[in-house]
Amino acid sequence: MIKLIALVPLFPLIGFLINGFFGKKLSKGLSGGIASVSVLASFIVAVLAFLELEHSTNKSHVVELFSWISADTLNIPFEFLYDPLSAWFLLIITGIGFLIHIYSTGYMHDDAGFSRFFTYLNLFVFFMLLLVMGNNYLIMFVGWEGVGLCSYLLIGFWFKNQAYNDAARKAFVMNRIGDLGFLLGIILIFVSYGSISYGDVFSRAGVSSNAVVTAIALLLFIGAMGKSAQIPLYTWLPDAMAGPTPVSALIHAATMVTAGIYMIVRSNVFYSISEVASETVAIVGVVTAIFAATIGLLQNDIKKILAYSTVSQLGLMFLGLGVGAFSSSVFHVTTHAFFKALLFLGAGSVIHAMGGEQDIRKMGGLKGKIKITYITMLLGTIAISGIPPFSGFFSKDEILAHTYEHSKLLWVLGMIASMLTAFYMFRMLFLTFFGKFRGTHEQEHHLHESPSSMTIPLMVLAALSVLGGALGLPEFWHMPNWMSEHLSPIILHKNPSALDHTTEWTLMGLAVVAAGVVIYFAHAMFITNGVLPLENEEKMKPWQKLIYNKYYVDEFYDAVIRKPLDLISTAFYKFLDLQVIDGLVNGVGSMVKGTGNVVRLLQSGNIGFYIVSMVLGVILILLFTFII
Amino acid sequence: MKGLLIVSGLGILAMMAEIFKFKKLLFPLVLLGILGAYVANFMEWNSGFSIAVFDNMIAFDKVALAFSGVILATAFFWFIMANDYFEDMPTVVDHFSLVLFALTGALMLTAFKNMTTLFLGIEIMSIPLYVLAASKKKDVKSNEAGFKYLIMGSFASGFLLFGIALVYGATGSFDLMEIRAKISEMGSGMPSFFYAGIIMMLIAMLFKVSAAPFHFWAPDVYQGSPTVITALMSTVVKTAAFAAILRLFMIAFGGVSESWSMVLASVIALSLVIANFSAAVQTNVKRTLAFSSISHAAFMLMVVLANLRSNATLDALLYYSLAYSIGSIAAFGIIYNVTKNGDETFDSFNGLGKRNPLMAACMVVAMLSLAGIPITAGFFAKYFVFTTMIGTGYKWLLILAILTSAVGVYYYFKVIIAMYFKQATTEEPVTIELSQKVVMILTTLFTLALGAVPGFVAEMFKF
Repeated sequence: MIKLIALVPLFPLIGFLINGFFGKKLSKGLSGGIASVSVLASFIVAVLAFLELEHSTNKSHVVELFSWISADTLNIPFEFLYDPLSAWFLLIITGIGFLIHIYSTGYMHDDAGFSRFFTYLNLFVFFMLLLVMGNNYLIMFVGWEGVGLCSYLLIGFWFKNQAYNDAARKAFVMNRIGDLGFLLGIILIFVSYGSISYGDVFSRAGVSSNAVVTAIALLLFIGAMGKSAQIPLYTWLPDAMAGPTPVSALIHAATMVTAGIYMIVRSNVFYSISEVASETVAIVGVVTAIFAATIGLLQNDIKKILAYSTVSQLGLMFLGLGVGAFSSSVFHVTTHAFFKALLFLGAGSVIHAMGGEQDIRKMGGLKGKIKITYITMLLGTIAISGIPPFSGFFSKDEILAHTYEHSKLLWVLGMIASMLTAFYMFRMLFLTFFGKFRGTHEQEHHLHESPSSMTIPLMVLAALSVLGGALGLPEFWHMPNWMSEHLSPIILHKNPSALDHTTEWTLMGLAVVAAGVVIYFAHAMFITNGVLPLENEEKMKPWQKLIYNKYYVDEFYDAVIRKPLDLISTAFYKFLDLQVIDGLVNGVGSMVKGTGNVVRLLQSGNIGFYIVSMVLGVILILLFTFII
Repeated sequence: MKGLLIVSGLGILAMMAEIFKFKKLLFPLVLLGILGAYVANFMEWNSGFSIAVFDNMIAFDKVALAFSGVILATAFFWFIMANDYFEDMPTVVDHFSLVLFALTGALMLTAFKNMTTLFLGIEIMSIPLYVLAASKKKDVKSNEAGFKYLIMGSFASGFLLFGIALVYGATGSFDLMEIRAKISEMGSGMPSFFYAGIIMMLIAMLFKVSAAPFHFWAPDVYQGSPTVITALMSTVVKTAAFAAILRLFMIAFGGVSESWSMVLASVIALSLVIANFSAAVQTNVKRTLAFSSISHAAFMLMVVLANLRSNATLDALLYYSLAYSIGSIAAFGIIYNVTKNGDETFDSFNGLGKRNPLMAACMVVAMLSLAGIPITAGFFAKYFVFTTMIGTGYKWLLILAILTSAVGVYYYFKVIIAMYFKQATTEEPVTIELSQKVVMILTTLFTLALGAVPGFVAEMFKF
């Protein structure tokens, strides 16, 4: 199956083409069916190939499809790399992708743009697969841009709402800033190593100076900041919640936003060499984790809470990368994909039940009305809060243990972030499902559980969220940590844990106790005392206002970057563009026309003249050749 | 070799269709035949060895087979596209056989090894074209086109013969390899009339590819001829003429390139300027494309000028002719359909984006490709030419080429602007035959595919 690995991205591409060209003519069932089956087919191939890889001693397969660009010294083949890392990402993308496709057939059922939605979704899966499967940075870049495009299309899916279009544009622009860094990184790689294929680059990485490696690593990280929503480029992700909820689950939680993690794990050589770069990654990661978590504390939109939680969790993953715990971060990507997809889909189910309402202030008491959604979301919340033996506990613990080893300060910050996570997640859960219903009478009447096409993916994801931790049991439990073994061939500088068992037990115990205390606190606050979010800003204390308004970062960017940029642009437009450039261009244009009008006179239509000029041409040429 | 035999056989068969009354069958037969010729050609290419025939006058080596492949593929699309035009004519049989004979000449031009077969190829290809250009018998313009083409073409043939005679006089042979050997043997001791002969031959060939200042026939003939014939002239004929130039000047006269390269460089520069600047002020679409084809000819001549006998050079020329032929077939096919009512100005395209969105989209791809915008084939065609040129001493020409192709963007975009931003006088949709649609879509997809994976195709041409 590994030889046929190209089938994995091919199926969604076919699905995309069918839905793109004929989607409008197909029935909804067929359109959604084709899209889902195409991803399922990819998943099956991915599973078979994965089993083959597990049993094979060769852990790195390069499948060359064709020579893509070849010009002088630039030679870029279009080839796929199938190794433990890409194999694992393939499973996540196609597996969770398939579940979300199924969910979407229910969620999007009454939408006028049904087939358009699946067209984009298939295209997204295709590009995402390309991103992780390429054997060089250019293919990764193509996938990178492709998923960005699909993200843009899907955020602005309901394009009749201008606010949604703005959100889509914001995501695109923010990502472009990161992409520029990524592109510069690729160029620097090519300049430094003469190739952009992973194999060549990584084997030569040690040759160049530390400064070059650091520059490459930092440029790549700028790309990752954009795509994986890290400070300072994170503000697009919360706004991206304008898209349909399955999109938030697939693109803005489980897959695309983890592309930055994938890229850094793939390029782990650079980060192992450059200390500066990995410190930067760790610090940006942990700061983002705390920063976003605090914002999450006071949000009232159920999807926005989850969005900030995603930003925060991604920060945690970057913290892991920064301290050299590459496989732990991939592990957390995996468990996060399970529980965050679950939470988003659950939120979607809640929104579905509430008839489109997303404000948790208007919910409450839903647990009796939508039982399956409630139970699955409860499991997801426990998982993300880090309660054993749920999956989130193991992956988060692994990252924090590595962090502790690396720096106590970072560990403390990481702990605070995960305590905040437990708090705001339970706040969301309690406010949504407990207490009294606070919506309109009409909404209450309308409350209903979602169709099975939506609840079945929820149940599957809930099971994975509960059990997913088994993929990476702590090593000091004398259990095989499957994930770190699986990924060991692609991590070039390994970083085995040097902590003694007592410390590890203590850290683990601390984490559990902290989470327990926080949850208890949340329970006391929202259930026992029935505290509700404040209805308007005026009653808030200054610190609450600050957080509620997301630290005014958007306003800050607006004042510091957008406004000056607008001013400069206007100035340039008025002077440089209208006067100088237009003048030049129009000048060239009229010159071309003027010359053309002279030259066209030669074309008189008179054959005598033609022959005379031909003969003159011959004579001139002969004279020219023999006299000069 | 088999391809050449099949195509000439088809020509004879086509003449008999009238007598034996299988006119209706002719079109499918011709298509099958061309396809068969293509397959035979491909198998020969794959088997990898070539035999010289007729006393070493023709040899289908790899280069010849590759160019034949391009010509046959283009011809295949051309026949599907042109059938609509010929179908209802009482003279369909004559037309088909004329085209097939022109094709025979074109194939000969890819494979000649001797100056006699060169001349024969040119004449076999050209004479049917003179007739075809004038084939709209009741249209004055078409008659004028055919007549002009005949007079000027004969004039050029005269130069060719004159040149061949002079070269023969100096070297004592018609055979390309022997001429080559003679040149390297004699070194600078060649008599000066030998160089005059080369220049004469060059001029004749430049006439055939309509390079300035021998291009005057092209706009008038392209505009006056029926659109499908114009399409034939700007694709099959051009490719064949370039294959011939490449053979002649790289094999036979490659050793004395200093004697003709300066002339060629000036011709290229002149063509670039005259073609692009004249095209910019035209109002007739076909006439604009005629000038644009002069500009493309200049680009392809640059490959010959680079005179590097390497795979990259051959690749570049092959890729260019393929990209250009496919793009032109698409463009002319659409022009043919749009201008059926007789209006051939840019205004005939007004509002096509609404009247037939598919056709307009295909036209956009064709125009982008001809203008050389990525990710279409035309971009890489130009790119490959530039990469072969960059190592030579003609950087000034390269810069001129880039600047003038910027002018090219202007007139190609005129079509696009007309299609999408101008109001049509009617909202009536433009209809198109199924076969035409198929060619249009296939050529468009091909253009995009060539542009998306240029290396893939270049690799197929490796020999």
